[in-house]
Amino acid sequence: MQYTTDIRVIRLMCTGRMDPVIMADAFIHGLDGLLVLGCLFGECHYVSGNFNARHKINMTGEMLAYAGMNPGRLSFRNLSSAESELFVKHVTDFSTEIRELGPLGGEADKVPLPKLKENLEIAKTALAGPKLRWVVGKKPVFVDTGNKYHEVFTEHEINRTLSGIVIDEMATHSILAALQNKSASVKQLAKELEIPPPETLKYILGLKRRGFVEMESVKDHTPLYKLGASP
Amino acid sequence: MEKEELRIGVFVCKCGSNIAGYLDVEALDEYASALPNVVFTQWNLYTCSDVGLDEIKKGIKEQNLNRVVVASCSPRTHEPLFRSICAEAELNPYLFEMVNIRDQCSWVHMNEREPAMAKARDLIRMGVAKAALLEPQEIITSEVEVRALVIGGGIAGLTAATSLANRGFPVILLEKEKELGGMLRSLNRLAPMDVDASEVISKKIKEAEDHPNIDVYTGAAIDKVEGFIGKFDVTFSANGTTKDVRLGVVIIATGAGNLVPEGMYQYDGQKVITQWELEEKLKIGKIDGNNVVMIQCVGARSAERQYCSRICCAVAIKNAILIKQMNPAAKVYILYRDIMAYGVENEEELRKAKQLGVRFVKYDPERPPVVEEDKVTVFHHLMGKELELPQDMVVLSTPLIASEDAVKIANLFRVTLDENKFFLEAHVKLRPLDCATDGIFLCGSAHYPKDVRESILQALGAASRASIPLAQGEIKIEPIISTFVDRDACRGCGLCVALCPYGALEIEETDEGRKANIITVACKGCGVCAATCFRHALGINSFTDEQIQAQIHGFLAA
Amino acid sequence: MEKVTGSNGDFAVTVRKKARYVDEDLCTGCGACAEKCPTTVPDEFNMGLGKRKAIYKYYTQGIPSTFCIDAVHCRTFQKGKKCGVCEKICQAKAIDYKQEDKILELKVGAIVLAVGYDLFDAAKLPEYGYGRITNVINALEFERLLSASGPTEGHVERLSDLRDHELIHSGEKKLKKATKTLGKYEKKHKKSSADFYKEFTAGNISDGDEFAKWAKQYESVQEATKKLEALKAKAEKFDVATRLAFIQCVGSRDFRFNKYCSSYCCMHSIKEAMIAKDHEARTDAYIFNMDLRTVGKGFEEYKVRGAEKTGLNYVRGRVAEITQDENENPIIWYEETTSQTPKSLTVDLAILAVACEAPKGIEKIAEMVGVELDHNRFFKTDPLNPLDTTVPGIFVCGCAQGPMDIPESVAQASSAASRAAEAVAGKA
Repeated sequence: MQYTTDIRVIRLMCTGRMDPVIMADAFIHGLDGLLVLGCLFGECHYVSGNFNARHKINMTGEMLAYAGMNPGRLSFRNLSSAESELFVKHVTDFSTEIRELGPLGGEADKVPLPKLKENLEIAKTALAGPKLRWVVGKKPVFVDTGNKYHEVFTEHEINRTLSGIVIDEMATHSILAALQNKSASVKQLAKELEIPPPETLKYILGLKRRGFVEMESVKDHTPLYKLGASP
Repeated sequence: MEKEELRIGVFVCKCGSNIAGYLDVEALDEYASALPNVVFTQWNLYTCSDVGLDEIKKGIKEQNLNRVVVASCSPRTHEPLFRSICAEAELNPYLFEMVNIRDQCSWVHMNEREPAMAKARDLIRMGVAKAALLEPQEIITSEVEVRALVIGGGIAGLTAATSLANRGFPVILLEKEKELGGMLRSLNRLAPMDVDASEVISKKIKEAEDHPNIDVYTGAAIDKVEGFIGKFDVTFSANGTTKDVRLGVVIIATGAGNLVPEGMYQYDGQKVITQWELEEKLKIGKIDGNNVVMIQCVGARSAERQYCSRICCAVAIKNAILIKQMNPAAKVYILYRDIMAYGVENEEELRKAKQLGVRFVKYDPERPPVVEEDKVTVFHHLMGKELELPQDMVVLSTPLIASEDAVKIANLFRVTLDENKFFLEAHVKLRPLDCATDGIFLCGSAHYPKDVRESILQALGAASRASIPLAQGEIKIEPIISTFVDRDACRGCGLCVALCPYGALEIEETDEGRKANIITVACKGCGVCAATCFRHALGINSFTDEQIQAQIHGFLAA
Repeated sequence: MEKVTGSNGDFAVTVRKKARYVDEDLCTGCGACAEKCPTTVPDEFNMGLGKRKAIYKYYTQGIPSTFCIDAVHCRTFQKGKKCGVCEKICQAKAIDYKQEDKILELKVGAIVLAVGYDLFDAAKLPEYGYGRITNVINALEFERLLSASGPTEGHVERLSDLRDHELIHSGEKKLKKATKTLGKYEKKHKKSSADFYKEFTAGNISDGDEFAKWAKQYESVQEATKKLEALKAKAEKFDVATRLAFIQCVGSRDFRFNKYCSSYCCMHSIKEAMIAKDHEARTDAYIFNMDLRTVGKGFEEYKVRGAEKTGLNYVRGRVAEITQDENENPIIWYEETTSQTPKSLTVDLAILAVACEAPKGIEKIAEMVGVELDHNRFFKTDPLNPLDTTVPGIFVCGCAQGPMDIPESVAQASSAASRAAEAVAGKA
């Protein structure tokens, strides 16, 4: 049995260990493709680790795609430890797919380098934050037993919510990143980040309420915002 | 604390020609010597041979190595050996890292020497990068309280308790009813051996009650459960008193309940009864009339209850035979969908019933039988025509359903139920008697409907599984488990507790506020908690974020 | 096992440990020996559908991961042949042709009989054509075809197609050899075989044995080439097997053979059909049954999912006969009992769910340890003491007691361990 020399294996006890931050970080460091291989669903050696992994990988993939990376660069596939031929197939397929996409930040990705890496850094910060991690972490609980009001959600509902949060988180973290070294008005931010001004205003007000940004001054009737002193 | 100077030793194995035939091992050895923190490298013909192992020990002693990397084959087969060699040389065995350049490199890239060499160099570099961040770990041991709790005093619970007691282990047996015996108390005779159920169960009850190693509590209810394998602290009340006990292991044998088919097939408990009620009639030998019609799969294998209850066909066949034996003139019909006479004995009983003249009629669930005052109308699925069967009594075969206490017991012990509220085993095929939570085992109809033979079998099996920690007296655990990387960050939100499939995390009130507590003996190290924690408070020993990232960065740094 | 004496709590067992001709302590399981071994034999693990070498491991994940020499096929063990390739290739020096059987004397308190089962030989049922119709196979053979690590890497192919591929392979080899011989003549006489043959048949060359041989050789090469071309043309149209018929109760619930139900076959057929469908979406699978006995946890749900999501067809009816058409496709003749109509169905493969039978040699073991067998040749037990044989201290688990599936076998194994432990503690 022979297969592509393109892959490097990193051993984990369970795909449940796959932290979204580790995945984003790998691409920031220049990885072209990340393939997570785990047990077949229903046959997880760690009971439910691969289900948790699937939720996180799907969410991370969505986030990284939103940041401008081709989502094909991150993939989760399944096999049992006795299926060596399937392993070969998975790594061969993935290697072919990644070779077709080319190096990170090339034509296959929506955003080119170095902007892509900046975006991925923002995505990584969002993926490290409480909001996404909490919702994706709670996903199996919500779908299985429901929230504390015993409302049980369908996977579709949770995914829709998650998609919304991905967009919000990416936007708010982009705003925070943009305000890192300067102050700016809503209009300026909206233009720079290509977020519609009303949306930008909504995010700014939200950030302001939580103390992440504050008003610096008012120039020509336009408020300028800067990072908050103590969020 | 001052950081010790890193002194990494790398041993590259030729594995005869398995690696050396396809990779230039000596060049890899030289490559490794130039990697950061590497102070010693060596290639061996067989690193796993006595000679090779001695070289590792010599390296640790003479070169003061404080991290060892072996680039050879699969950790699956050889990691324990190399770890033990490190320990022999007084290096903490968890400061060892293995790089697989055989199974994952030389063997699978036999015709691509240069790309394979590049890969081998990468893999070694990644291993060294991870090794630099490894931390010493200690094997975790925890004592086991040598006492078992068996919940449920039916045939399964009694059998499990007696088996453990026979082996010398003290057992506490809890039964919620006033009397031991469970379902068998109400049954008539048992097939295929044709013995009296009450005889069987009273013998079992006496054996358990008289056993010096078994403490029986009837009328018992469990109030509180804390702890984990080896140290379950259980509070229960029985007959007005409350007791606290510590137990090493728990066997769940809570049995199942009977479905009462209200509103189905004119069920009235008088003329239209269940098999369960028929057993009582047969017990007193009182069957009215000559015409008996039994209907299978009543409330089972349907949209709202999809499962097959396994034993009802055998029960119907047994009771049909008993009726025919009491009254050969009786006409007994069994209306069925598939006759589940699985195995050797059940099929024999089925043949016996047919020989005695019991009639079997296959019905289509799309056109179920209709029960009327004096007859049952059924569309004979195989003859393709409607039959009218006169009836003096209709017997409905209803499924066993999960015990009403299942949810409560599952919550108390933090174990999982399946979609039908039966207890869920850790692995369908390989661990059919264990719960996913260590130290808790299951048997009998609590798991799924079972006949007496199967309940006895499972009970003995569960006793066998439960006896392992009891006999060992302590639990030893590989420290590749969840750990706090930043305990201050933890706010005790409980997300990790909700996700842990092993019940290995709990929230406790501490002086610093609510914090997660890792039950080390229950943890298996899957890492779901670490990958989820939004405070980044948790990690996995030997698989920390930093270590995994070091491998990735190590790869990309070339 | 050769001899058992003693009684409950104190048995003495004589065991012959067969020589494997490979030192277990030295063998690293690398497999270099098997790669170079010149002798190829049918692989029993793959039901003879694949090949293995004379030095081999029964299967990849076997424990210990040590090779052994099959002395019946090994050239070194056969008279008059020198080989020793494995010894030369093994760098770990693990090969030991002189290894001998070892006799072990074991003192034990209890004995567990876990001798398993054998498959019913479907050839005993002439009407299904097993052994006569190439594309009628048993479930375990199908299992190997489905396996990603099996002889076809998980592609379900008709056995006749596999046979033809093998014929093409060996035909090409033979042809190559024969063409080489022609080449020798051509070189010697500086003439192409075609030209020579034209002259020869025209009667221009007549004398000499050698020319007659050359001509004959040329004729046979021509013929072999033609045959091979035809076979290759046929093979080009080969496709994976997509029409599958699963025949239940083959040798079970049958008064001629085993009256009992083999318990697990309904589920393995459903499982195999679902996996086949998973491998190849075009798969159309039929399961011919009397009753579908889905009596385990999640089984009925699995069956329903098989029909609803996977589109399996469950046909109620016992198959009367299997014949084959001119393309070696099995034709299933059956009565669909729910519509009372005799029907036939042509498929690519017919898979027989053969009965679980007590293993060959169980009588010998029973005699050696002194336990009784029941009328089905399984070890006799009492349903209320389902692990105890008729001799105290000797227990049974798994299919040696009667047909059962994996979870039941695993649970029963634990139970037997419990009884054995009680026996050792003097309480059984």
